[in-house]
Amino acid sequence: MKKNLSPFNKNIKHGLTHFSLALIGLFCILPIILIGIISLKSRMDIHRKPPVLFPCDTPTKSFDIRACRWSLEGYQLALGMRPDPDALLGFRLTGNIVRIYLFNTFLYATAASLLVVGLAGAAGYAFSRYRFRGHKVLLTAILAITGVPFLTNLVGLYQMGISIRKSALPIDDRVFLVLVYVGLFLPLSAWIAKGFFDAIPRDMEEAALIDGCSPFQSLILVVTPIAAPGMIAIFLLTFVNVWNEFMAGYLLVAKNEYKPVMFGLYDFMGQNTLNLQVVAAACIIIALPVILLFLLFRDRFFSAMVEGSIKG
Amino acid sequence: MNTKSKLTTLLSFLLVLGLLAACAPAPAPTQAPAEKPAATQPPAEKPAATQPPTEAPAEVKDVVTWFQYDAENMDEKANEAVGNAYLRATMPLFNKAFAGKLNWVNQPKAFDKMEAELINLAQGGGDVPDIYELFNSVNNFERNGTLQDLSEWAKAQPWYKDLDSSALQACTGTDGKLYCIPLAQRPQVVFVWTGRFPNGYPTTIDDFLAQAEALKKEGHYAITFFGSTDKGGSGAYRGLNTMITSFGGRYDDGKGNMLLNTPENLAAIRFIREIVAKGYAPDTVFAGGFEEEASYMDSSAGSFPTGLHSWKFQNNMTAPDGKKYDTGTFEDPLNAFKDGELVLAHFPAAPGKTPGCGTLPEALAIPVGAKNTQGAYDFINWIMSPEQYPAFVTNVGGGLPTLKTALTDPTFADDVIIQQAAKVVSESACRPWFGSLARPSEAQPLIMNALYKAIKEVGDDQIEGVLTQAQEEYNAGN
Amino acid sequence: MALKLARLGKQKKIPDSLPFWLLLPTVLILFIVQIYPTVYTAWLSLQERKPTGWIYVGTKNFERLFRSSLFNESVGHTIVFLVSFIALTMLLGFLTALLLNQKIRFVGFYLSLIFIPWVISTIISGQAFRLLVTPDYGVFAGILQDPALFPPNGISVLTDARPSPWFGSFPFPPSKGMILLVIASTWRSLPFTALLILASLQMIPTEIIESSRIDGANGWQIIRFILVPIILPTLVVTIFNLILTGMNGVAIIISLTGGGPGTSTQIISYLLYSLGWGQIQFSQAAALGLIIAVVNWILILATLRLTKVEEAR
Repeated sequence: MKKNLSPFNKNIKHGLTHFSLALIGLFCILPIILIGIISLKSRMDIHRKPPVLFPCDTPTKSFDIRACRWSLEGYQLALGMRPDPDALLGFRLTGNIVRIYLFNTFLYATAASLLVVGLAGAAGYAFSRYRFRGHKVLLTAILAITGVPFLTNLVGLYQMGISIRKSALPIDDRVFLVLVYVGLFLPLSAWIAKGFFDAIPRDMEEAALIDGCSPFQSLILVVTPIAAPGMIAIFLLTFVNVWNEFMAGYLLVAKNEYKPVMFGLYDFMGQNTLNLQVVAAACIIIALPVILLFLLFRDRFFSAMVEGSIKG
Repeated sequence: MNTKSKLTTLLSFLLVLGLLAACAPAPAPTQAPAEKPAATQPPAEKPAATQPPTEAPAEVKDVVTWFQYDAENMDEKANEAVGNAYLRATMPLFNKAFAGKLNWVNQPKAFDKMEAELINLAQGGGDVPDIYELFNSVNNFERNGTLQDLSEWAKAQPWYKDLDSSALQACTGTDGKLYCIPLAQRPQVVFVWTGRFPNGYPTTIDDFLAQAEALKKEGHYAITFFGSTDKGGSGAYRGLNTMITSFGGRYDDGKGNMLLNTPENLAAIRFIREIVAKGYAPDTVFAGGFEEEASYMDSSAGSFPTGLHSWKFQNNMTAPDGKKYDTGTFEDPLNAFKDGELVLAHFPAAPGKTPGCGTLPEALAIPVGAKNTQGAYDFINWIMSPEQYPAFVTNVGGGLPTLKTALTDPTFADDVIIQQAAKVVSESACRPWFGSLARPSEAQPLIMNALYKAIKEVGDDQIEGVLTQAQEEYNAGN
Repeated sequence: MALKLARLGKQKKIPDSLPFWLLLPTVLILFIVQIYPTVYTAWLSLQERKPTGWIYVGTKNFERLFRSSLFNESVGHTIVFLVSFIALTMLLGFLTALLLNQKIRFVGFYLSLIFIPWVISTIISGQAFRLLVTPDYGVFAGILQDPALFPPNGISVLTDARPSPWFGSFPFPPSKGMILLVIASTWRSLPFTALLILASLQMIPTEIIESSRIDGANGWQIIRFILVPIILPTLVVTIFNLILTGMNGVAIIISLTGGGPGTSTQIISYLLYSLGWGQIQFSQAAALGLIIAVVNWILILATLRLTKVEEAR
């Protein structure tokens, strides 16, 4: 049987569909490709008047593939590549981006995502499996919180951060930032988790309970393994969100060695206003990990995004 | 079960309260921010946790500094590489000189954010540095009670009498107290490619316009400057200020009120509008993000009014005759100056006016609440010593020395840029851009937005309205 | 707290404190990181900083804000930005979802391609679009600034003055910088929007479309009278998300236009940022933050209300 879900049955040919999709795809990918091209130019080709797209022109021809002057200068500078006979590959990476910022962000994103998975998993399970007084109110309240723009809260959070720094609490900027990230991405994740748990049949837990497991044991031993794919989706979603977050890291971190990578990138842009190939290379270096993560786990991302927003 | 739930609810509520108490806003309003916030600490905390571990072993105290520069940043081609390298080289010297007593710890800060951070930290009684690199007005800090009054201490120091009085003025608040120690002056000067102005940089407005027209015919721009509203409106004190003051204009009335709608300012704005309308300046002037510099670097624009210290950030340049200066470091402008390709000049003045230039200090200040004030004093004295002073002024200050006797020091006497700058400054009327305005950080974007509108967006008949509106808005807050 | 396992009923006695403990950390963290800062911001908006400490000044911060010309201007910019950003994103997102919701080859490939912008951070997105149009050096600068193609002087997106407004001082038509901001924001939000709409389209039973087609409905009629009503809840959720994204969209402005040309891309959240961290007036920033939060809520409630009206029709 023919399955055509499109409202335009025969009016639009497949060719046109492909053409339109390719066009939209091009719009989506073009800026990234152009940044990639810029990152591979040498400085002398960056500031050309009029600008050239490919650094492949010769005095006589506008494009000659053999004359291309591709260069890794941008990447070398962005990574702070420095020859070092003692190092494994003959060079060391001394740039702040790899040395400090990428590492920090990896740490923050992992910590925040793990915490969010744990908390959202627990909250989602409670919302999915139990009916208690205030169930609906709490569920709505958690969603309602997201209606307050994060920027509004940042004014308060900034002052809180200052108070924490002066207090004797054993909380430094890193702990505080991770806590803020957890609070920022928890509401949506709790909803996503609830949706995932709702989709898991209860029979197995009930069997476990009847077999004498405590609810907590059944949660750990029975539910968690089944819920793992959903939890991984939440982890990935939070990881990418924290990786890409700029304002909180920018405004809440005071020490250079604690800066997350987007803050570092912003500094880097200010430091290399005219070395656009370096800025472009830094952008590519920073975006690449999450692009790869996304391409590897595409469907997990989709399931989390759809679960969190539509079912909510 | 019910009792247990209630108990847990109560406990968690207390926990929240405890956490919030730690985050509560600063002490009672009557308390001076300088006081240690011991009273607000949660009682449960053990006092041992408050002791920085570094203090324990041998009484080596940290001197914490906030500089725009980052000793850890090894990138030789970064804009701030000179200052970064200076810190990297100098910090060990300091630690050696004060071995067993002081240890210099630097925390690099973004130049356009450190002021807000310090003021907020000091207000909250937070962890402020002992030394703060100050390069704008002291008025914001004075109004917020952020910096220590250094008048008494400074007067007792041997270098005090040698300090230039106008430099001291730049560190003095509206209350007459000295809030920072000026080490260098950063005047706004004009960088000129001699190849674009073979007969010398014009000294009158008419001559400037004539030469600009000639350059335009050759396909070049006469000038580039920072004309965008980007970077917190800091364009208000860059090249635009140089042009406006060269018409005798200013932003205040000398009594703390903003005054933009004056005949001098109007004349200056009409002049700038002419430059823009006739295409004597590139489009990038208004693009923000310091992209206007590119036209100066490749000498497609013949002159660039900006801060003297910015030469440290310039590199990869092409002179009008095609000569390349492309080591990618500050050696590039230095060599161009030595070759005579670049010179410093003052802006042409309107008839009967003195060429204007804004000037800001490069200074060191001690915030209220600094943990190691004595260490900060030692730090300033060490930097002011004849061995250290020239290197600081050259690498961090990037401007003119504030010690009057220092100009004859070999470091400066042989420095072609410093000597040219000193001459330019002596021929100009240099003053801080904010004049008597007590709230420069608020005034800056207001002024810049108004200037941008007046130059770029409105018709000639609306210029006065735009200027009046901005000044009224500011003065309403007085 | 009375707790009850939903379906298990009386089969087995369950210690009913478990959900309490499961929810406690979440509630605590949300209290500290979301609710308390909002309350604190509200408190701060009524204070003013003096060297001696915060003092209560009533509504003075709000009054100063309302008097400031930049605030009034940025409200206009916000309206122009939000309306065009949301309209363009929804339109493109709906179209993309319709195209993807067909049994054709390479759907997976297109999906990956179209979703790349979603993993690119806003600050990089802004920088990327800036590099495309930077005067003199941007990738498209040669084309845009060519007077032959765009008379009389060519286009310089980041520096061209805004056109004179048609309706009093309301900033319409927008500056070219604003158009660029809308395009860049749309680019960043398109994947999310398209995915949500696609997911809800896929939940629609095929029979509905088949039968309506047999009844003689054309493509447009199917979209308007069959698809849109069914997926209306999803559209509303998507619009909520876009409102929030647009309202919070400071990072992309910082790296794309810096608020320029002039002040033409300063929306109210950018104004909040520059008030707080540029001009160091946190009380006024807090007041503005409160206003943004309230406006946000009004927008969300209004969307809900409109939906109800639409559903009732």
